[in-house]
Amino acid sequence: IFADVLESARFSPPGKPKLTGCRSPEKETFTCWWEPGPDGGLPTSYSLYYRKDNSDTVYECPDYHTAGKNSCFFNKYETSIWVNYNITVMATNALGSSVSDPVDVDVVYIVQPHTPENVTAVVYTDDDDDPFLLARWEPPRKVDTHSGWITLVYELRVKLEKGDTWEEHFAGQQKQFNIFSPRSGEVYMVQVRCKPDHGFWSEWSPISYVKVPDYIHRERSMWIL
Amino acid sequence: LLCLSAQCHAVGLNDLLDRASQLSDKLHSLSTSLTHDLDTHFPPMGKILMPRPSMCHTAPLQTPNDKDQALKVPESELLSLVRALLVSWNDPLLLLSSEAPTLSYPYNGYIYSKTRELQENSHNLSAGLDRLVHKIGTSSKSLSPLPFRGGDLGSDRNSRLINFYFLLSCFRRDSHKIDSFLKLLRCRAVKQRPEMC
Repeated sequence: IFADVLESARFSPPGKPKLTGCRSPEKETFTCWWEPGPDGGLPTSYSLYYRKDNSDTVYECPDYHTAGKNSCFFNKYETSIWVNYNITVMATNALGSSVSDPVDVDVVYIVQPHTPENVTAVVYTDDDDDPFLLARWEPPRKVDTHSGWITLVYELRVKLEKGDTWEEHFAGQQKQFNIFSPRSGEVYMVQVRCKPDHGFWSEWSPISYVKVPDYIHRERSMWIL
Repeated sequence: LLCLSAQCHAVGLNDLLDRASQLSDKLHSLSTSLTHDLDTHFPPMGKILMPRPSMCHTAPLQTPNDKDQALKVPESELLSLVRALLVSWNDPLLLLSSEAPTLSYPYNGYIYSKTRELQENSHNLSAGLDRLVHKIGTSSKSLSPLPFRGGDLGSDRNSRLINFYFLLSCFRRDSHKIDSFLKLLRCRAVKQRPEMC
């Protein structure tokens, strides 16, 4: 009995896990993540359960691996849109279990794309005109913009490598953008992000660097002449 | 000459679909911002007491619920679906804008002007859809708009607020469907101009 008392003081059922959020990168699949609560000092396992609004059947998460630790991934066959998913996570150890607060999710309200891809910035030089920067990019690979399932708009930001403020430009649906009158001899940093027609901005793409060659500003060269 | 007129027709359709999807985009964004406005002062109990989305009056209207299903629906049928959904909201949108001024809500004047905007947008979109039906044609599957039986929001202040919010959340989902289907149609129509989609 004494040992049992000691045991019960040291160990406890798990604390309540917390569903931290769900996101869909392309309106076709989605992932939900949770934070475990205290494990009560015992090996604890987690299960995610969901029920769709149009049915009473409760299902368990179809895939705990694809999206990493403490997550559940729903592939395209398990993802419906315009349907509420009522989701809970249950933590279980040898002494008992506890259930998170439920979260209601409709996939159309949690769309956040991955970052735009192949972001490049090059300097265009012409004999007659001053050079300008041309940035180009592609939509994230997984997003189907061709059928119109998602419409993306883009935003670009540039900064002098030595500077400290970013200058933002809205590019609309265009997948390229010109930046005129870059400073001679300077290095610029360029990033692009995208937003679906209804949803959240992606993260900024990795920084692309572009070096502007030394040149004499056209108006100034006239002046020197 | 025939080719020329065919081209004219194509241009007209693209522009119409473009304008229609701009309106539907606006309609959904408006309903989202209105939902968020109400969210900030909504009684916490309200969410629990709110009817399930399957209780929305348009729920019986079968719509595709993923991309593969949506892409299989013929154009004329997709258009009828959009039209049936939008027309089903004529009466409830009228109710929302007529009841907004009497809601016990801190910014009901603001809520009222937004519901009026919803109504006007929906009216304009409806007119655009009529023109689109002329160009695309009607579907063999005739879809009728669904009747709305909730003639008022109820009597006590909390249930009025809950019913208002519930109707709005149903409309938010339906306006998203309308917008998604119109944007699919827009991209099907501009197949020859891939830079648009």
